[in-house]
Amino acid sequence: MTAAIVLGDVPALPLHEAGKYVAAAYIVLFALMLVYLSIMAIRMSRIERELGELLEGTQRAAEQPPGAPEPDVQRESTLA
Amino acid sequence: MYGKGLRALSIATVAAMALALSLVFFYAPLDAEQGFLQKIFYLHVPLAIVALCGFVLGALLAIAHLRTRDPRWDMRSYVAIHMSLIFGVGALITGSIWAKGSWGHWWVWSEPTLVSFLIVFLLYATYQPLRFAIEDPERQARYASVFAITAGAFVPLNFMAVRLASAYVHPRVLGSTSNLPGPMALTFLVSLAAMALLYATLCKFELTAKHTRAQLRALRRRLLGEIPDTQARRPRSAAPTLQPGATVGTQAASRTAL
Repeated sequence: MTAAIVLGDVPALPLHEAGKYVAAAYIVLFALMLVYLSIMAIRMSRIERELGELLEGTQRAAEQPPGAPEPDVQRESTLA
Repeated sequence: MYGKGLRALSIATVAAMALALSLVFFYAPLDAEQGFLQKIFYLHVPLAIVALCGFVLGALLAIAHLRTRDPRWDMRSYVAIHMSLIFGVGALITGSIWAKGSWGHWWVWSEPTLVSFLIVFLLYATYQPLRFAIEDPERQARYASVFAITAGAFVPLNFMAVRLASAYVHPRVLGSTSNLPGPMALTFLVSLAAMALLYATLCKFELTAKHTRAQLRALRRRLLGEIPDTQARRPRSAAPTLQPGATVGTQAASRTAL
């Protein structure tokens, strides 16, 4: 079927018919945004977790007395 | 650095989106032919225009990368194309919904505008696999830039070819043939501006997140004495990685922490 035939004098859909298509189109945009923001939220929480690990490691290193042997922060972080 | 102005941009985007939606549903008159269904136009067309402009922007940023060899331009080009692909998916889905409601078909293969947009979209869909296929980060960035420029040049050519096609049925919005009444034109322009702002905000958000991650990696290396990315075997990824030298402020941040 050619596009011209497809488009030939198609009457406007009534509001209750058209409403579901319009709603679907706008929901698609918001769903896309929601998925994108969820992915970004997961990435942010990963960054937050890594920052927390780093902070913990540095705090532990700072609490050590000056003469004491340095803790193996890297190993602890890997094990965690 | 990338996060500067993100808050103001986000507020402007939310305000523009709210204004655009209000105009679409409470100000713009119903179309005489399509009725309420035409409201999809204010979503679908801005999505498509912003996606195509984003592809061209990606090409321009890739030119800057090849000229300067600065990986930050590659990152910007990557993010611009990545975001345009997301907007492209939105344009294709909303276009199909509109086509179904308006023409009774989800897709019309004889319609040049639809098919040309799909071709452009599929062309750019190969961008990520291309990047992923190349392991060496420098070569990956270079090849991706060449691809972005070539494909970016194809976008306006494709657009012109479709407009020159005589047998088209897709409505024309912009140009001398446009017969949009004033309130509809205003609503469309506000929707377009809102969509462009959304694109800019999401790009900035993505760049900020990637920059923060790069800074965090640099900080971790400094504090834990991990092997730098340049020496370590980097896991294969389509996304570019900012090198420590390219992340402005990384060194200072590490020094402060130590």
